[in-house]
Amino acid sequence: MSFKPWTTARRTVQLLMIALLASPLAGLTVFRGNLAAAELLGLPLADPLAFLQALIGGRVLVLSYLGSALLIVGVYWLLGGRSFCGWVCPVGLITELGDLLRRRMGTGQVTLPLTGNRWALVLVLLVVAVTGLPLFELLSPIGIVSRAIAFVSLMPLLLVAAILLVELLVARRVWCRSLCPLGGLYSLVATVSPLRVGFVAERCTDCNACRTVCPVEEVLQPSLECNHPQVTAGDCSRCMACLDACPSKALTLSLGYRPFSTDPLEGGR
Amino acid sequence: MDSDSKNSGISRRLFLQGSVLTPLALALGGAAISAVYLRPAQAKGFYLRPPGAITEQRFLAACVRCGKCAQVCPYRSIKLAGGEAGVGIGTPYIEPRENPCYLCPDLPCVKACPSGALDRQLREVEKVRMGTAVIIDREGCLSIRGLRCEVCYRQCPLIDKAITLETRHNTRTGEHTIMEPVIHKDKCVGCGICEKVCVRDKPVIVVQQRVIEQKDYYEF
Repeated sequence: MSFKPWTTARRTVQLLMIALLASPLAGLTVFRGNLAAAELLGLPLADPLAFLQALIGGRVLVLSYLGSALLIVGVYWLLGGRSFCGWVCPVGLITELGDLLRRRMGTGQVTLPLTGNRWALVLVLLVVAVTGLPLFELLSPIGIVSRAIAFVSLMPLLLVAAILLVELLVARRVWCRSLCPLGGLYSLVATVSPLRVGFVAERCTDCNACRTVCPVEEVLQPSLECNHPQVTAGDCSRCMACLDACPSKALTLSLGYRPFSTDPLEGGR
Repeated sequence: MDSDSKNSGISRRLFLQGSVLTPLALALGGAAISAVYLRPAQAKGFYLRPPGAITEQRFLAACVRCGKCAQVCPYRSIKLAGGEAGVGIGTPYIEPRENPCYLCPDLPCVKACPSGALDRQLREVEKVRMGTAVIIDREGCLSIRGLRCEVCYRQCPLIDKAITLETRHNTRTGEHTIMEPVIHKDKCVGCGICEKVCVRDKPVIVVQQRVIEQKDYYEF
């Protein structure tokens, strides 16, 4: 197996996140909180969806909290939106490992459409507006996993186990692909993000290696079939697995916005 | 025989997947979700929230369950609720009999809360209103029975304000004084130190939900 620089970097960041979540247990004060709200070296960070639910359901507005939520939106706008899912979220790591097992077993071939998580986002905002209950904070496997790490609160992990089983046996990566409302929110951010996967059409040999490794292979379709110079879909998690997999370097890291051009020689570079 | 099993059209893997593992997955998922969400918020009764918590209904939405208040609590008094708390999953609470709130003068938990679930307007510990101490078992209270206990009174951080001693003649012995601890709910912050220090096996003084004072015209 050849060296995969992007995947190695990504695994390092994912494991570092878990180490940060667990660090208060060791008495360190570098990091506090979890992915809903945290403090890293004194800098407050906030999940924008948790912020929206607290604002709508709790009817409280703390300006510093708004500021840290906007900061996070800004950071993920720069870094590609759903890069949160691919690089930071511990549930992403868990379901990714589950997917490796699923591939080996050859089960769970169903794929649900990617638009689901934007509907989940609408549902969460509707529920909190109508009932005052922060549906995502109640259900969130991200919160459950982070509290399992930071507070050794293990019983709610049942929900994560259930998600893993469904993904293993029925529908491939269904939580991250189609159900997670936070993924829905970051996919909206990602559609306008300047950090994208670029596609150089003339180098492509149609080997389909990228489609095999991509967790959301639908996003590659416009590039592979219509030579779009960039992957513009918001659901691309910028995991860069396709860059590692491509034998002819047709997929690249692309900054900025490249409009689709019919001239194949003006591919995104 | 071999061909028979092929003709059935269902492989072992498919059977396991369809008839055993899929229902198991659904049952597990259903159990996990219902265990958490079919319980009413107050199934366990009153949750003593950290200082500055806004009203329970709004608190449940405003709290983003990040656990920072629990991480900064120097006495580890603040714990996070698990699935047993229903919609309160992940929210902070205090179990005073185990570890009450010792009312840090700088209120680090309130400062740690990012979302305003713990109100940052709160700066003085005397204005904390987490709950109210109540003597739930007068017959069990040693002081009320005429013995010299008064531990709750002596340990109360607001001694002579939140708990005072009221003396009266002990008619049972005819020659002693009963020194009864009396709680003043307008001063009691609900920290739970009295519940922690009560000498009985089951505390006779406990922190309960604050009752909002009723306006009326019964003064004379």
